[in-house]
Amino acid sequence: MTGRVCRGCGGTDIELDAARGDAVCTACGSVLEDNIIVSEVQFVESSGGGSSAVGQFVSLDGAGKTPTLGGGFHVNLGKESRAQTLQNGRRHIHHLGNQLQLNQHCLDTAFNFFKMAVSRHLTRGRKTAHVIAACLYLVCRTEGTPHMLLDLSDLLQVNVYVLGKTFLLLARELCINAPAIDPCLYIPRFAHLLEFGEKNHEVSMTALRLLQRMKRDWMHTGRRPSGLCGAALLVAARMHDFRRTVKEVISVVKVCESTLRKRLTEFEDTPTSQLTIDEFMKIDLEEECDPPSYTAGQRKLRMKQLEQVLSKKLEEVEGEISSYQDAIEIELENSRPKAKGGLASLAKDGSAEDTASSLCGEEDTEDEELEAAASHLNKDLYRELLAATPGSSEAAGSPQWSGRPPALESLLDPLPTAASLGISDSIRECISSQSSDPNASGDGELDLSGIDDLEIDRYILNESEARVKAELWMRENAEYLREQREKEARIAKEKELGIYKEHKPKKSCKRREPIQASTAREAIEKMLEQKKISSKINYSVLRGLSSAGGGSPLREDARPEHSGSARKLSRRRTPASTSAADAVTSMGKRLRPLVSTQPAKKAATGEGLLPSSPALGAEPARPQAVLVESGPVSYHADEEAEEEEPDEEDGELCVSALQMMGGNDYGCDVDEDDGY
Amino acid sequence: MDADSDVALDILITNVVCVFRTRCHLNLRKIALEGANVIYKRDVGKVLMKLRKPRITATIWSSGKIICTGATSEEEAKFGARRLARSLQKLGFQVIFTDFKVVNVLAVCNMPFEIRLPEFTKNNRPHASYEPELHPAVCYRIKSLRATLQIFSTGSITVTGPNVKAVATAVEQIYPFVFEITT
Repeated sequence: MTGRVCRGCGGTDIELDAARGDAVCTACGSVLEDNIIVSEVQFVESSGGGSSAVGQFVSLDGAGKTPTLGGGFHVNLGKESRAQTLQNGRRHIHHLGNQLQLNQHCLDTAFNFFKMAVSRHLTRGRKTAHVIAACLYLVCRTEGTPHMLLDLSDLLQVNVYVLGKTFLLLARELCINAPAIDPCLYIPRFAHLLEFGEKNHEVSMTALRLLQRMKRDWMHTGRRPSGLCGAALLVAARMHDFRRTVKEVISVVKVCESTLRKRLTEFEDTPTSQLTIDEFMKIDLEEECDPPSYTAGQRKLRMKQLEQVLSKKLEEVEGEISSYQDAIEIELENSRPKAKGGLASLAKDGSAEDTASSLCGEEDTEDEELEAAASHLNKDLYRELLAATPGSSEAAGSPQWSGRPPALESLLDPLPTAASLGISDSIRECISSQSSDPNASGDGELDLSGIDDLEIDRYILNESEARVKAELWMRENAEYLREQREKEARIAKEKELGIYKEHKPKKSCKRREPIQASTAREAIEKMLEQKKISSKINYSVLRGLSSAGGGSPLREDARPEHSGSARKLSRRRTPASTSAADAVTSMGKRLRPLVSTQPAKKAATGEGLLPSSPALGAEPARPQAVLVESGPVSYHADEEAEEEEPDEEDGELCVSALQMMGGNDYGCDVDEDDGY
Repeated sequence: MDADSDVALDILITNVVCVFRTRCHLNLRKIALEGANVIYKRDVGKVLMKLRKPRITATIWSSGKIICTGATSEEEAKFGARRLARSLQKLGFQVIFTDFKVVNVLAVCNMPFEIRLPEFTKNNRPHASYEPELHPAVCYRIKSLRATLQIFSTGSITVTGPNVKAVATAVEQIYPFVFEITT
């Protein structure tokens, strides 16, 4: 603290003594600061005369609180969240790493990655298992071990792509560049699994050469390295007279049979495959091939070109056909009223009808054939016209088109005309407001330019169609609707019975505050309040012990508070006591040691009780206060475990006490209190 | 030379995704019953409506928010969205066409040469990531444009970005990197 001013004299010359921890003004001598935190090392003399420094080693990770007070269980109790996360992570990493047979160095590195990830909040919103797998795989990649992501996903039973996503994110966020996988890394591992015996090394060498050849031939880009390995090993095995079937290789390498075959055929296409075994071992061909997908693409291009040439030729032929088509159409125009009788009345040219009828007699046979062709052509033409805008269609086949709109309108009339009428006002509003506001897009008005209303009308079904569609939908989604109805029925029933529990979205658990209690007894009470009641604790003994110390004073003074708190305790423990009774009878032996540890606590609580409970109202100390004051605990436990019938008898005697306590189910508890 | 090749390279836009709001509550059941080209997904609470003219598929929620996919250009997307709003108007809803925004553009482009992916990844470390076990392409992200490119060894590149301009710029940016790694 430089630059401080003395309070007494105003001088700035202040001396700081680090050893004594004082700050003194040299001018007037007044002590400005006492007990400054010093960072001196203290020494302590040990037996035998040597001296050692005082202090503890604190780990970087955790808060440093040693959890060994209780004997080692509840390891995570009392540590802060970050330390717990890291410890859990470490445990998982070791568990997984041992399954993968990674050495300690790798596991430590993985744990470092995990620590980095936690500090950058990458574990939030992700399953810890995924993050840990990603850390381990990152280590495998950086160290170059022959572990695949597939192995990890096998162990965890998680989709490979999910793990891959997490892994990529981790690598990106931690700015770690994982070197690309070399298929050669996997060869020793797979060769070992395929059991080549003595010739393992030779086969591996051959397979490596094959792989390098494949790399030069561009077979390995974009492919799973395990597939390439499988193909190389298969060929190498055959070269050395080992019979390894495709199935065996697949089970080791974990790729699909078709993938393996494909790789083999690709390799077959390369010029290297033409060499004999000896030649292959000696010579290395100079030229490199194109990647197989590239050659496939080239083939496709060539096919396309062929098709184009063909289509050009076809066009010439089509030109001739279209001229025939025109001729046919002309005939059809003349004969249409005969073909489509219903719409003939709607057709505008009456003269056409007359001519058609006159023509009909002459060209009956021709017309029949033409009709068939015409109807077919008409349909196509119709569809084309529909697709094109009405403007252009008018140019194409006007008489045909003129026949259409009236028909359509007659069909669509029963449509939501009311709707269209209703909308017309809003449409007019839209259009008028649009014209008033030149900047239409900003205001959100619908710009109707280029929108064909008629076509949109076609998208709207009429009533009968709507009914049919509704039926279809109901039938298709019957399953879902049934589930919904069942769910509703269930909820209604639960509501009637009054046990309807609304499943609200889970609120995040509030972090529990550390229990602040002045006495041990209060601490126990509060802990029991907060935590779930365990069936292994003998609450009656707990209660007995807690009031054991304050037995005599209790008798004298009216301690309603004590009884009140005891009542609270009893009520809380009511559900547990019955279970405790059952537990006791079933696990009598197990309970005894537990119970024996309790008295230590309870004696303390009993004594602490005196100052904690002030004198209040007039409720006299009840007889059970005397009863509660119990002797050695183990005796009670024995009684409980062995003599169940006396429990019930005693229970009857003390019913009144129990009732006052408010816990009617305390058969065994009361017994305990009685028979000391 | 690069500029010339850019001009020669044709970038094909395959998909444009856009969103807009109708500012009015839509009764999905009514749309489902009266529309001829709709699929009603009641379990997720949306309606899929497909238009033929600009071939688009729209996802309609009852809140009035609509997502339009399948268009092949930005203008077409806007046109299709307007048609959709018009057809909803015809069904009887008070539709207002607001907040039209193109959200995503997907384009494909073909390089006339192959690309060596492992080398490419090594040279472009932080932006490129290549996992042959997972996906055969290199994933290259351009943060400034918010664009992602998937580069395949055959030379075809798939680009996704927030608008057409970003996509074009991304292709221009990646061309020099890719060109130096050819065979």
